[in-house]
Parts: sequence; structure tokens; C-alpha cells
Amino acid sequence: MERRDFLKQSTLASSLFFVPNFIKAFENMALTSLSHKKIVIVQLSGGNDGLNTIVPFNNDIYYKNRPGIAISKNSIIKITDELGFNENLKPLKNLYDKGYLSIINNVGYPNPNRSHFRSTDIWHTASDSNEYLSTGWVGRYIETYGKLPYTGIELDDSLSLIMKGETINGIATKNPKILFNNMQTPYFKKVLKSQSEAHLSEHNLGYLYKTMIEAESSAKYIYETSKTYKSKLEYPNNPFGKQLKTTAEFINSNLDSSVYYVSMGGFDTHANQENRQKKLLDIYSKSIDVFVKDLEQNDTFKDTLILTFSEFGRRVKQNAANGTDHGAANNVFLIGKNIKTKGFYNKAPDLSNLDNNGDIKYTVDFRSVYATILDNWLSVSSKTILNKTFKTLDFI
Amino acid sequence: MEQKHLQHLYLRAGFGIGYNKLQELQSKSKTTIVSKLFLDAEKYEELQLDLSEFKELLQPKKLMKLKMMDGEFRALNKKSRQKVKELNYAWIDRMVNSSSILNEKMTLFWANVFVCRDNTIWHIQRYNNTLRTNALGNFKDFVKAIAKEPSMSKYLNNRQNVKQSPNENFARELMELFTLGVGHYTEQDIKESARAFTGWSFKRNGDFFLRAKKHDYGEKTFLGKTGNFNGDDIIDIILEQKQCAKFICGKIYRYFVNPKINDAHVEELTQLFYKDYNIKKLMHHIFSSDWFYDDENIGVKIKSPIELLVSIQNIVPVQFKKKKQLLYLQKMMGQVLLNPPNVSGWKGDKSWIDSNTLMFRMKLPSILLNDAVINLDEKGTFEASFEAYYSKEKNKRRFLKVTKSWDVFNNEYGSLSAETLKKILIVGNIDKDTEALLNNLKIENNKDFCVQIMSIPEYQLC
Repeated sequence: MERRDFLKQSTLASSLFFVPNFIKAFENMALTSLSHKKIVIVQLSGGNDGLNTIVPFNNDIYYKNRPGIAISKNSIIKITDELGFNENLKPLKNLYDKGYLSIINNVGYPNPNRSHFRSTDIWHTASDSNEYLSTGWVGRYIETYGKLPYTGIELDDSLSLIMKGETINGIATKNPKILFNNMQTPYFKKVLKSQSEAHLSEHNLGYLYKTMIEAESSAKYIYETSKTYKSKLEYPNNPFGKQLKTTAEFINSNLDSSVYYVSMGGFDTHANQENRQKKLLDIYSKSIDVFVKDLEQNDTFKDTLILTFSEFGRRVKQNAANGTDHGAANNVFLIGKNIKTKGFYNKAPDLSNLDNNGDIKYTVDFRSVYATILDNWLSVSSKTILNKTFKTLDFI
Repeated sequence: MEQKHLQHLYLRAGFGIGYNKLQELQSKSKTTIVSKLFLDAEKYEELQLDLSEFKELLQPKKLMKLKMMDGEFRALNKKSRQKVKELNYAWIDRMVNSSSILNEKMTLFWANVFVCRDNTIWHIQRYNNTLRTNALGNFKDFVKAIAKEPSMSKYLNNRQNVKQSPNENFARELMELFTLGVGHYTEQDIKESARAFTGWSFKRNGDFFLRAKKHDYGEKTFLGKTGNFNGDDIIDIILEQKQCAKFICGKIYRYFVNPKINDAHVEELTQLFYKDYNIKKLMHHIFSSDWFYDDENIGVKIKSPIELLVSIQNIVPVQFKKKKQLLYLQKMMGQVLLNPPNVSGWKGDKSWIDSNTLMFRMKLPSILLNDAVINLDEKGTFEASFEAYYSKEKNKRRFLKVTKSWDVFNNEYGSLSAETLKKILIVGNIDKDTEALLNNLKIENNKDFCVQIMSIPEYQLC
């Protein structure tokens, strides 16, 4: 006998009692009060260079600071007198033309941190830059309004801080079948099935059982619901395309989840930036394009908002390796059917007024973006989730 | 000593206790057993990797540049960063194999109080040993040593803290996270104390030195006192605050006794600790007290990923053939030693647990001991290229390459009754339905039964 089969053998062999389980109770706990709106959050991980993404093609300071990597005027997809898209963002331009896109410039926070880890934490927890929170803003939303893990799904195999609450967290999966199977190992299942009473005590053992039961029922729900819809569109054949395809399958199968978090890697372009970034923007915009079409075809786009951010932008002045170093404020994209302020939400970055590091200063606090999404899209109280009141914006 | 109490003591003061040791100690008194823990702790050894290949890097920069080509210098620096991973593996091995378990447990605890991260191997190894040396020493000496460590100096920017332009990062975290806690000092106290640490620097080999020209010798007013304080004076003044003793005792209590604070017990500890900040006396008092052994304190702590990994290896010794896989396990469970999320460290307790980590943790015994398939990928890093970020996905079905010493297990546990084995592995109460499940299992051998017990939620607790 294979050693790894032994669990199967030894546990299935003894025909076990079947106690009417209370797992059903959890499964039936519907998310009655939640709005059916969805938010898909995409992090361009590593820090996307916003200046070469949305290019200030009439700005001398831009060209002076980036002799080796500035995008030439001729190749830019021009939008206004001063700003244009990187040529590899054609699909995004199409979304712009349809009025589906809002670009907010100069989004950041006071005293910016230039470490990937720390700045990601700040964006994930919605904290101040000198404050350490152990829960994410989406995690707090799940905990306060969603109650069950599948309210928020991260398209990965482990959970990021953004999805973590105090005692209720989101759930991570990039393959619902694997997630489901991992919860269905005979022994794991056996322990679950034998539970006859709810463990709602505050003690840690009760917490473990509760988490286990919720994990199992979330995995089952995600797998069984999402398998009813398989996307018919062809996504770019790369891991990011796959993440978005899975997300579309979740949304189009009417999964009752309201937040999705996807991280796309590769944006830390310290050297030979130009071609690397172009390829990344190509992958990003083509995948997003198919994703939006997929949702449109299923009439779910009207209820979905896509937020794209990076933990920071990059320095205005290029470095010696034809790359850029970690910077501060950056642009943020919002994509949706009913965007209020279409196109550019605010003014382009002021390159003549940089901070002491030579980085773009923020004019919009990133938590204002969150507050707007919470208040005006998910229809909950942003103050409850963000612990403070932030001015809401007018993009939705 | 009662078996349950002995197990509890060893789970908190160390990483668990095996059957043979239990047999050996059970007839002895609490006083004897606790004293022996402290005696063994004194015989700790420093953790030393062979760093001779980096000798060149310890010279003054000028000399070094002359002798070495730039590329050579970079390659050596890269190697140093790789070596930090080896320190991670060596540290875990140490926790499994040390006979000074109390000292190692304290070291692990302090690493999450004086949180620090550094890529320079000879600095972070030195830091790690400073934690080890002071783990049961005097808290005042400890804080002063930490403040002078090169790794800490870099991590909290004290190297950039100069008279002409003070950097407050270290001063702030010193009070907020290391000694007093939020709300027990003012912003002005931070400003004044930052001045006292100006010019604190270190040589390439890690030794402390004061850059006199960068140091602010002027008068400072800090926590109500005025004088020409330096950094050591500031630490003295901080420790004069009873709040400091209370803050540390609270951390100790949550980690070693119960995640839920008992105010009376913490007050009792604070009174004792405040007298002389002797860590050894404090810990001795805890392990000797009656309340430490109250039922409400037994089996109620959620093991950290490292504690879980080490406690399994205490029962079944394993050897990793691919050490990188040890790093993979830590990543998937959310605790990579020497790589804390930020200066406030791991929050611990319930925050170790979400749907994904719990599932992984409960599968860990099968993955580690039973060749269960790994079908989950670790996250890519920020610095990775697009391809590298997702590269882990290519290899879909994987196993851990480990050698398991089942013969060692069988010698110690092979012939025990199911009930005895269960009592050794699980110290707290078992849920009654799960208990019934265990009692009804057809047990073929203790090896299989051991993996099964380790896979119930109760094993996550200590």
C-alpha cells in the first residue's frame, strides 16, 4: 500500500457514525444584507512606473529626467494636450473611449514609505504611514458585513494582509477544485462530519473548529457554484490572464462574493525598464480587455468595478541602469460601466514640484478611493471600515 | 509532577516533551524540574555559521575596494544574503535539537519583541546571538545591547540619525514597541530622545562606535527629566517607568501563560520585574507559581507556525534534503524566521489562522511525515520578474524531500497504547466528537495514529 493512501484506508474502513451535522446551518447563513455589487482589486506588484504608463508627453522635465527611457512623443496614444497612453495600452484606450475608465492621478499618502513590504501593508491595511494594523481594509469589510470567508476571494494560494480580519478572513484560491479537494481529504472530512454541535465559544479551540467548518463550506460553495460557468472567451495565455478568467467564472456563475483581489507581479523595474514594462502593460491591458468583454456578455459588468493600483510609483529621474527606483504617488485606474467622471479625474502630476526624494507628491489620499468604493459602490459605512472619515470622490 | 503539568511546562518553556523524558522526570518535584530547566538554559551555545568566506568584507571599505573588483564585491554581498536563509534553517534545527530549550524559547520570544530584519549575515547572526545571550539576563543591559546592534541601527534608521538632522524612527519604536507602548510618552519625548541617539554608529565588523561630530551633546528634557542625556541615559529613564515593566510582563504573560491577560497575575509579575528587571527571576516565578498550572492556561495557545513545525519534529525527527522546502512551509503558514512582516512583528494567536493557513497546518503532518502531495504555491516576491513571480506554478505535484526517522519514533512510541500516545500529543481537552472519532478509529500502528492525532485541530494548540 502506498503510504499516502493509508489515511484513506484506515479511516474509511471503519464505517463511522453519521451525526446530523450543523454544517448546514453555516451554509444557509445567507449574505442577506450585502449588495450584489462586486469590486475586483488588481495590484501591479513591485511598483508600476505610472509616468511611463500615462505619459506627460509635452513636459520637458519628463524628457530631461529620462533620457534613456522616456516614451517618445510619436509612439504615444494621445488623449489630451498633455497626457497620453503608453502604446501597449491600446485595449485600455478602447475602454476609455467607451467611457468605462477613470484615471486618478497622484494617489498616495503623507510621509510615503518606499519599501515594497511596508507600502503594500499601508495600502492593504489603509493605515497611516507610521501606524501598524494587523487587519486589511477588505478583511474588515468581510468581517463586518460579509460574515463568511467567501465574501472576499484572493486569486492565489495563500491570503494577503488586505483580506484579513480579526477573526473572520477572506479565502484564497486560484483553483477552486484544488481548494475543494484539499478540504475533502478523508480524514479532514471525517473530523468535520463528526461535529454535532456548533463551536461558537470564544476560546481558541472553538475558533479553530469554527474556522475549519467555514473554510470547508466556503470551499465547497465556491467550487460547486463556480463550476456551473466556464468562460467561452480566450484569455491571454499567461498566469495573470488565468487569474482574471477564474475571477470572471466566479462572477458569472453568480457566486455571492463581493470582493476579489488579484496580484500581478513583475513591476519592480530597476533595470532595462522599457521593454519589460511594455510587455507587462500589454499583458495587463489585453487581459483586462477580455475580462471586461466576458463580464459584458453575461450582463455582470454593470455590477462590477475594477480598481488597479501599485504600492508606489517610481522616481521621476531614471537611474543609471535605464530603470527607475522606488517612488511615491502614482496613478490609479477605475474601470466600470457607470463611471461618473470619465477619463482623467484630476490634473497630471506636477513635475516641477517634487518631494525631497524627487518623487511625485500625492494630491489624493488612497483612502479616499477606498471610502468612495465602500460608501458609494458597496453601500456600507466607510467610517466603520477605515476608522476615520475620508473625503469621498466622484468617480462612481 | 503531574504528567499534564509537566507537558504544559515543557510546551511553554520549550517545544514539547517526549515520552522518555516524561518517564524520567515524572517522579521529580516541580522545584527540581524547574531548576533543571534554568540550569540547562545557562549552557546555551551561540549559533555560528561558518562565515570565513566573508572575512574580506569586514575590512574598512577603502582597503577592500583596492583588493577586490566591483563584481567580486557584489557577488560576495549576494552570497551573504543567501547565507541569511541558512541561518534560518540552522535556527530551526537548533530549536529541535537544543538541550537549552528554555533559552531557545526565550530567544524566539525576544525576536518578536525586538523585531529586526537584515540581509547582512554577520550582522544578523550577531543580532540573533545577542538575543540568545540576553534572553534570561537583565532587561536593562538587553535593551542597551539591542540599541547598539548594527542590524537594529540599519533597520530603524539610527545610522541616519545625526545631530544636524535627527531621524526619530528608532526612538519612536523603542518606546512604542520595545518598552512602553503607545500613549505613555509624547511626540516631544520622541524628538528629545532621538537627539540622544544621534551619532550612534558601527564599524563594518559590527562593533559599536560613537561618531562624536554627529552626536548632540546638548541638554534634553525627556519624560520630565532634564540633562545632557545620551542613549544609555534615555534607556535608564524609560526603565524607571513602571509602565515599562508592565508592558513587558504583559507580552511575557500572553506568550508564556495565556493569550488572555489576567490583570492580577500581570500585576504580580510587574511588581517583581520592576525591582531589578531580572528576566530569569521573572520566568522562574511564573513557572513556579500555582496559577501557571491552572486548567484555564493549559492547551489554550495557538502554536505559531515555527512552534508547530518544531513540535512535530520533537516526536518524529526529520531531515530536509531540500532546505528550501523548509522555507516554503514557513511561507505558506505565514511565519518566516528572520523575515518579520514589519517592526511590530507577528501578531500571533488567532491571527495565525485563516481558512488557508488552517487547512495547510492540519495537512502539515501528512505533508511532512506521510508524503502527501503539495498542490499549493507560495507567493511570488516583489522584486521578481513576471515569469519568476509565477514560476512556482509549473511544478504542479510536489512532495517534500525529507528523511523521517520512524525507527527513532518506534523505539520511543511504537509499543505505547493508543490512549497513552494521544495524551502525549494533546495536552488540552479534546472536543468530544473528535474524541469519539479517535476512539473509533481502527488503529493499524502507532505511526499512522500519530499522524492522525497531529491532524486534529487540538494539535494546533499548546
